[in-house]
Amino acid sequence: MPKLIRWLSVGCWIVGALSVQEASASDGVDYATQVGPLLQAKCFDCHGADAQESHLRLDQRASLLAGGDSGEPAILPGNAEQSHLIQLVSGQQAGKFMPPDEADRLTAEEIELLRDWIDQGAVTPDADQPNTADTIVRPSHWSFQPLQGVVPPTIDANWGANPIDAYVLQGLRQHGLTPNPPATRAELIRRMYLDLLGVPPTPEAVQAFAVDERPNAMARLINKLLADPRYGERWASYWLDLVRFAETNGFETNRERPRAWPYRDYVIRSLNDDKPYDQFLMEQLAGDSLGAPEATAYLVAGPYDLVKSPDVNLTLMQRQNELDDMLGTTSTAFLGLTVGCARCHNHKFDPIRQTDYYALQAIFAGVQHGERSLPLAEPQLQEITRLEARAKELRTQLHPFLKHAQRSRASVNPRGNEEDFAPLPARYIRFTVLATNSSEPCLDELEVYSGTTNVALASAGAKAKCSSALPGYSIHRLEHVHDGLHGNSHSWISNEAGAGWVQIELPQEASIQHIVWSRDREGQFEDRLPTEYRIEVAVEPGQWTEVASSADRMPYAEDGPAEPEYDFERLPSNQATVGRVLLKDLQECQRYIEELRAAGNVYAGAFEQPGPTHRLFRGEPREPREAVAPGTIASLGKLSLADDAPEQQRRLALAQWIASPENPLTARVMANRIWQFHFGKGIVSTPNDFGLAGARPTHPELLDWLASELRENHWSLKHLHRLILTSATYQQSSRPSKEAHTVDAATEWWWRFPPRRLDAEPIRDSILTVSGVLDPTMYGPGFSAFEVELENVRHYFPKKTYGPADWRRMVYMTKVRLERESVFGVFDCPDAASSVPRRNRSTTPLQALNLFNSPFILQQAELFAARLERECGEDQAKQVTRAYWLCFGRAPNGDELTESREFIATAGLNAFCRAMLNSNELVFLQ
Amino acid sequence: MPSHELAGRHLLNRRAFLNHAATGLSGIALSMLLAEQGLLLAQSPEGTVSGKSPLRPMIEPQHPFAARAPHFPAPAKRVVVIFCSGACSHLDTFDYKPELIHRHGMPLPGADKLITFQGEQGNITRSPWQFRPRGECAKMTSDLLPELGALADDICFLHSLKGKTNTHGPGENFMSTGSTLDGFPSAGAWTSYALGTENENLPAYVAIPDPRGTPQNSVNNWGPGFLPAAYQGTDFNTSKPIRNLARPEGISTASDDQARSFLKRLNERHLEKFPEDSELAARISSYELAARMQLSIPEVSELASESATTLKMYGADDAENPLRAAYAKNCLLARRLLERGVRFVQLFNGAYQTGGEGVSNWDGHKSIEEQYNLHGPVLDQPTAALVRDLKQRGLLRDTLVVFCTEFGRMPTFQKGASGRDHNPEGFTCWLAGAGVKAPFSYGATDEFGYRAVENIVTVHDFHATILHLLGLDHERLTYYHNGLERRLTDVEGHVVRDVLA
Repeated sequence: MPKLIRWLSVGCWIVGALSVQEASASDGVDYATQVGPLLQAKCFDCHGADAQESHLRLDQRASLLAGGDSGEPAILPGNAEQSHLIQLVSGQQAGKFMPPDEADRLTAEEIELLRDWIDQGAVTPDADQPNTADTIVRPSHWSFQPLQGVVPPTIDANWGANPIDAYVLQGLRQHGLTPNPPATRAELIRRMYLDLLGVPPTPEAVQAFAVDERPNAMARLINKLLADPRYGERWASYWLDLVRFAETNGFETNRERPRAWPYRDYVIRSLNDDKPYDQFLMEQLAGDSLGAPEATAYLVAGPYDLVKSPDVNLTLMQRQNELDDMLGTTSTAFLGLTVGCARCHNHKFDPIRQTDYYALQAIFAGVQHGERSLPLAEPQLQEITRLEARAKELRTQLHPFLKHAQRSRASVNPRGNEEDFAPLPARYIRFTVLATNSSEPCLDELEVYSGTTNVALASAGAKAKCSSALPGYSIHRLEHVHDGLHGNSHSWISNEAGAGWVQIELPQEASIQHIVWSRDREGQFEDRLPTEYRIEVAVEPGQWTEVASSADRMPYAEDGPAEPEYDFERLPSNQATVGRVLLKDLQECQRYIEELRAAGNVYAGAFEQPGPTHRLFRGEPREPREAVAPGTIASLGKLSLADDAPEQQRRLALAQWIASPENPLTARVMANRIWQFHFGKGIVSTPNDFGLAGARPTHPELLDWLASELRENHWSLKHLHRLILTSATYQQSSRPSKEAHTVDAATEWWWRFPPRRLDAEPIRDSILTVSGVLDPTMYGPGFSAFEVELENVRHYFPKKTYGPADWRRMVYMTKVRLERESVFGVFDCPDAASSVPRRNRSTTPLQALNLFNSPFILQQAELFAARLERECGEDQAKQVTRAYWLCFGRAPNGDELTESREFIATAGLNAFCRAMLNSNELVFLQ
Repeated sequence: MPSHELAGRHLLNRRAFLNHAATGLSGIALSMLLAEQGLLLAQSPEGTVSGKSPLRPMIEPQHPFAARAPHFPAPAKRVVVIFCSGACSHLDTFDYKPELIHRHGMPLPGADKLITFQGEQGNITRSPWQFRPRGECAKMTSDLLPELGALADDICFLHSLKGKTNTHGPGENFMSTGSTLDGFPSAGAWTSYALGTENENLPAYVAIPDPRGTPQNSVNNWGPGFLPAAYQGTDFNTSKPIRNLARPEGISTASDDQARSFLKRLNERHLEKFPEDSELAARISSYELAARMQLSIPEVSELASESATTLKMYGADDAENPLRAAYAKNCLLARRLLERGVRFVQLFNGAYQTGGEGVSNWDGHKSIEEQYNLHGPVLDQPTAALVRDLKQRGLLRDTLVVFCTEFGRMPTFQKGASGRDHNPEGFTCWLAGAGVKAPFSYGATDEFGYRAVENIVTVHDFHATILHLLGLDHERLTYYHNGLERRLTDVEGHVVRDVLA
């Protein structure tokens, strides 16, 4: 079919060309004498050789075809009606009547002339010249140039440990600055712990390091910290901010994503393993083809508007917003480019055309929000098979104890129901709904198994029919019942209250023995559930045999699925005891199976082959223009994908292009991020914007050197960390200097290590470390900071009391979109609505109130006090000294000790601990 | 010196300015926030979409809420936004359409295939409430909100608002933040970022949620988006105090004060080692400000000092309707905040909690008459009393009152229901007070009240106008985030000059 279309369009083009020739031979419009002078008189002043307002130029064929900022071609040869130029000069574009001055407007005849010219093929004198719009001219902006093969400067100085320092010293000298003296050992170990691990060092670690006389003591410390798994926990936060990760959907309903956490574990593990950055980013775009399927959770880590409507305009706009989130995050996070501006028109600053935006959109067009069942490992699969056999056996053994002999199976469950029967041949399978718990019935998937293969899939050639389908909803169509995608957004709903049927026709007869069906396998919806049903199969049409029904299930209960009821009392006690043991075994068996199965589901997106992507005029879903093939920003590269390239191949191609060593942005952007997270500010201070509107690097050569180091050392992030940590620049004292402040208050030239307030996570983790209750358990589902009211629209109420389950590291706190955690959220925690490359750092009275008065902190202060008493007994001097070491990594001086003891004597140890946990010295990185 | 002059000089000679500002604690080194916003980005008109250079507020890290001058002299010093959550029907309140009476029960022309948010349309349905002329201007308003209608002489109605979405969450986002998506700064956050506040002992920006709970998109309505967290709205009302504000139970005042002094001593000692560090100093100040708030917020929330007449005027003494009394107390709280110089107050009527659709908010899909007959009296008198009270105290002269909702509702009833579906194509908001022409009605919907057709006011235009009344140029109040100088008005918006007094 695609071939035929292409041939036809070529045919049309030939016919069109012929008619142009004919026309020009007879009464055709002539450019030189008619169109040219008209455009010259009315348009060229603003859109000609001298000026190109809105970047539109009408005196060249190539730019006529390419158009200006709007992204619309000015003319479509052969189609005056749709040509933007005609719409503009005839006032069909609201607010954009051209020429703007009413006195200059074209007459009806002049417009007609332009129409004829375009309809006749828009012949121009330069029609034969090559279309320069098609050739890639690499823009001259610095970040688009290949990495410079830089050689670090040789600096005549006895300061500096590696090339970083040579670059920095060069800059300092140019500005008449000198570096600060080195920080003390105690300061450095504290700085490195907080920076790399996000927790303070133990007093013992500080003391041991202070007296470590070995020449390589510093290198040993750095190696130890880089090998510490807490590194991944701290640095994952930065990445999770950048990719707007959260564990709820956002928008008004803000429902949970209980299976989003595996992505957090993936990021922590990847960082700890020092996974090459190119691989790390490729896996997130296309991990399903690279052996890291959970990594694609990145694609759908952003917000998702769950509120659906039959209003097609809304549905289209929601989908555009989802795709915008995916491609916008990808371009900012990996490339440092803000492609989002090109959704409605060509980018105002960067060489990104509107077509590029839709080429990128076509890359993601097949990605849908939702969970995906990831393949379970073989041992788990075997375990499930074994457990299922055991459960079946137990059910048989429990049969005599059934309270209602006819109700031997659990009631229907919105999340999924299984039907087992003796194998029999079938060509047709019909699922008939006889009653629902509300409204028209909904099925998100109907699976029919021959052996272990689901033969009902459309992709396997099966066809579906139904009694009726609810009109108006693209998310509730018949085809969703066997598309392999789960959840309400991929489901069928009949158009009959409490009734309806759906039928699967297999491509050929098969022996089947197992059927699985569900209302919403993602567990978001429990309404519209078929509560009474029957399933029949047939080899010949109409010759139905019933294989399963709700008759032997427990009746559906409003408060959730019901298990079969057993009555042990009516049997002798010894038998009853046996029965009870059997039931307990069965329940354990079932729970274990569920756990094993659930381990395979991850909110990592579902993939389907998309239809064509169109450029949208002004970004309006209702105004599609030409189809756009999947691709990337044309001025920077090319992906060579066919219009209908397979979905996965699209993402993989983009991933490979981004990760290519030739891509000038990828390594620069990441090297800058690493620098920024160590120093608080990047070499480029606009980390998500390396485009023309972004900031220039303060040290362009240093940035290129770091980027080359990253690229040429297997994209190892730990290699960059090591270079930075060992540099004299990093190891400078953070103390202020009056002279340096006068020249460079913003520390743009790095005359000191810039001190700064810690982020929320290291503040909370430090407090838990100091009080001694931090639970170091790594990985797995997080803990909640909220009591959640489970209405349609979720409400999040901050917890009022806390226990050990809340004392894990903050990276494991279930990330709720929009709602900030009640104590630490106000320390500029992002709301995960969009990519945050670096957090704000504000100081507010609410932060003070939270740290000074919240039950969380008061409890921590008590725990801290209890720890001091436990470790130091009643000796106040010891208590104070220990507290200083734990909080600040140093001993108190004489005055501090005296004052503290006096304070404890009057106000108590708890009050002292409360103040210590609020102190600047604890919450600042220096 | 007005902040925009400083900003202007800053643009000319940023380094000289920085040096000046950074010479010691008294000069206050700029915070990182300012350094980034001021130093490094598009400062030239070419670098912005509007072609105008940004005007950045000069923010002292130790006084992030200090009052700052506007871009130009302006009538409004503060704002109160009354937000009717759930989408309050314009056709049953302020937009009188006789055609709905004439064609009651007939199909809406051209709407036979129209699918709106919840589905298909039934027939045109007249408002269950009578409209009658109110005020000296004889403005036709409905019997649902007679007290507000009676204020018609003080009100500038905008009947031609047009939204971009027909879903509540995105609609609330759009009205509160200028974007249908989550994560953008609210109008109040922009305002407190630009102007600070006149009373540093109170939050610059307060959101007062409905007594029943939060609106549908909850905290995003008063969120800071990508602005520093300092500029988010602080949410509390008369029944729900600020979390962690009060001195903890079990700690005496004396002991609390001692702990605060000891902490101050700890921090000052530490500051001696970093004498130039304004961020450390700012954090010390923040504890002092917090302590002052501990006194000033209970004071402002304590309504006992209000006279019985005032309580009655608001309906705060209503024993029959505790919900109305609770909302009335919130209205009274709003006045007390404004009176004390709070810059931006957002007062919500309607919540999603405790019932959802139409039950506790203005989302009248199913049985609008029954539902609005509950909501009308709760909103009407207390809100009207707030406006009257502001007027009688002379505050209306420099306070802007904004009445808004997420979108309007359909002139038809939904198929098979007795309520109206969502309609972003045309709806009514109103302004009153500082700098606003009144009585005045601007713009119009079509004869059915379905679409805005005359003098269309987009939500961006609405925001541009509000900022203008505060002396802020919506094209120059920007904040750099992810590649763009972002604005409350995105890349759109025109000041509706016809409504300016």
